[in-house]
Amino acid sequence: MATYDFDAIVIGSGISGGWAAKELCEKGMKVLMLDRGRMVEHRKDYITEGKGPWQLPYRGNLPPAEVERDYIMAKWGGANLTAQTHYYNNDRLNPIDFENSKPFRWVRPNQVGGKSLIWGRVALRWSKIDFEANKRDGHGSPWPVTYDEIAPWYSYVEKYAGIAGSKEGLPQLPDGEYQPPHPMNVAETWVKERLERAIPGRKLISTRTANMTEDKPEQGRARCQSRSMCARGCSFGAYFSTQSVTLPAARKTNNLTLLSDKVVTNLEYDPKTKRVTGVRVVDANTMQAHVYTSRIVFLCASTLASTQILLNSRLPGSERSFADSSGLLGHYIMDHSFRTSFWGTVPDAELSPYIAYGRRPNGVYIPRFRNLDGQDADADFVRGYGMQGAAGRSPAGAVGFGKAMKEGLRQYGPWEIRFNAFAECLPYEDNTLTLNPAKLDRFGVPLAVFNVTFRENEMRMMRDAALQGEAMMRAAGLVGVGSVNEEHVPGDAIHEMGGACMGADPRKSVVNRWSQAHDAPNLFITDGAQMASTACVNPSMTFMAFTARAADHAVKLVKAGTI
Amino acid sequence: MSAIRLTILTGTRQTVLRRIDMGFLDRRDLLAGTAALFGAELVAPLAKALAAEMPAGFSPSHAALTVDQRILVSAISERIIPTTDTPGANAAGVPAFIEMMLADWYEPTDRNEFMNGLGVLEGYARIQYGTAFASAAPEEQDLVLTQAMTGKISGLAGNFFEHCRQLTIMGYYTSEIGCKQERVYVPVPGRYDGKYPYAQVKRVFSS
Repeated sequence: MATYDFDAIVIGSGISGGWAAKELCEKGMKVLMLDRGRMVEHRKDYITEGKGPWQLPYRGNLPPAEVERDYIMAKWGGANLTAQTHYYNNDRLNPIDFENSKPFRWVRPNQVGGKSLIWGRVALRWSKIDFEANKRDGHGSPWPVTYDEIAPWYSYVEKYAGIAGSKEGLPQLPDGEYQPPHPMNVAETWVKERLERAIPGRKLISTRTANMTEDKPEQGRARCQSRSMCARGCSFGAYFSTQSVTLPAARKTNNLTLLSDKVVTNLEYDPKTKRVTGVRVVDANTMQAHVYTSRIVFLCASTLASTQILLNSRLPGSERSFADSSGLLGHYIMDHSFRTSFWGTVPDAELSPYIAYGRRPNGVYIPRFRNLDGQDADADFVRGYGMQGAAGRSPAGAVGFGKAMKEGLRQYGPWEIRFNAFAECLPYEDNTLTLNPAKLDRFGVPLAVFNVTFRENEMRMMRDAALQGEAMMRAAGLVGVGSVNEEHVPGDAIHEMGGACMGADPRKSVVNRWSQAHDAPNLFITDGAQMASTACVNPSMTFMAFTARAADHAVKLVKAGTI
Repeated sequence: MSAIRLTILTGTRQTVLRRIDMGFLDRRDLLAGTAALFGAELVAPLAKALAAEMPAGFSPSHAALTVDQRILVSAISERIIPTTDTPGANAAGVPAFIEMMLADWYEPTDRNEFMNGLGVLEGYARIQYGTAFASAAPEEQDLVLTQAMTGKISGLAGNFFEHCRQLTIMGYYTSEIGCKQERVYVPVPGRYDGKYPYAQVKRVFSS
């Protein structure tokens, strides 16, 4: 009988890893959770929380020379803001193989809690349409699970995490278990009324968000205080993060061991038993290597890091990963494209007496409206996009100088509304993450090489979104309407998915319907790496639901003695 | 604030000046000496206090302006955001902010462009009024700035005035005075009201 250091090892402590640790601990497993980043404790380590601009280095903006030196990718996620720079990877110390990669932005965190501390908190469900998309139009491998199977797990994680949103009864954006939505402002309500009247079926809703509108005293969490400083960490625990939600729950069981600064280089594997036998780490401070053992392993290091770890987990005497019998490990890397924006100004003088008090943590959302029932006749693309936006008033622009300018700056400009379209990216087999064995990072791991591009379908969707967006703004009666299509670089949306895709056929996928590796039944890959398509909605709630479901299944298998 | 005082606050970058401040003792020597005098128990809190040096980004790591240039920058920024019913740019520490940006934030080309602009503006004031910009009457200073704003000073880069204005605006509205006295600072609003009457504040909420 084999003996193990732990019942389970969870690699990564972000949105997926946190859920894995919580669920496994609560089911009685002794769990080791590892993170490559430094420790960040709830409240105590939110070093910039509550600070005014005058209390932040450089009044909030890192010097450009430092940004270009250390945060060439992370700046796209906000590392250039000194209120949150400390939460991001240093791209100079921990690089990708820039020379051999096509343009890619891998925005990585640098701490326990991962991106759960700095995420955008948009909390949407995928729909039946999304889970059937691959099968319907033949791109990628068909999902082996249905919306109905996942729905109860969405409910489970939503209830615990605390999601605010309105119920809308839309098939393309299923309702969940929601606290009351955050309110819209007067301009958003104005646009909503006119847009929904002008284009029947079109919807503008309060963005469903993991910022609570009701307290959860049993979790020691309070509702959102409208500070909009989420990405610095929230001592109220108002938004879902590992620190505020899943880590306290896991710790409460006394079953959790959490180690920070542990860089997982690879998994050890026994081809005879087809099991992962160990997790090898290098300590980021001492550089000492160590192998931890466990009965099961949950790989939740993030889409790209999990894929990188798997690629670096080679069969003895082989260059091939043990998890790559399909030949598809590292393929189908995806992200949303979203650098298409459009805007308009509210012309109504009736709104000019009003401004916003408080800083809301969310905005408004226009759910997908393209290709819902089969293919739209006028769409030159498959699948669709959703639109995230908000209305607001900026302070009036500076005119001249002196007393008049100063007094002018006490006024606000007009109400403006602005959106970005987030488009589904098709799964392309030749969009890949590979390793360059000739270039090792400081922990001895081969650098990641990205060959990922958006293609014609994504570009057509982005063009359509700009046209449709402008048309909606005009239909609602806005003036000064415009749109722009900026460069779309994969990774930029920080919605990266794929690399170890889910499927029923072990020859065409890496994990099965339970997020369990085809090649190692005691390995579960429950973060974005398992996704077989991207839908057009933000993916984090889906990672949570799949992770909780996989943990439930894994413990059942352990108890049954199957793994 | 003298250059030496500034370097005390900013620590590591200016080794030479910091050594002057500490009487040629570097930090380790100081700690070692203290330990010898008072025993180990006093060293820990002292070490902690010394370790808590001011991080970069709050004041210039080194002098980017001469004394005269510093006076000129103060005079310009105070005319851009003067003292009215609320404090002006100088009270809000805008000149020190601008020097920090020049010393530690600006790229060399932008910094040189700004420094050249200061020289041209000062030269123009001396020719027009026979005195340094900072010593001219406020109305004269405003005339010079208006000429600068409208591109009528020969040899002055077209964006120099905009540089000054943006630096002053950024420094002022991100200062404690700018946020709390000129604007309305609500660190914990507690709620969101998207239909709040402007008439109740008649000001902008600072973010």
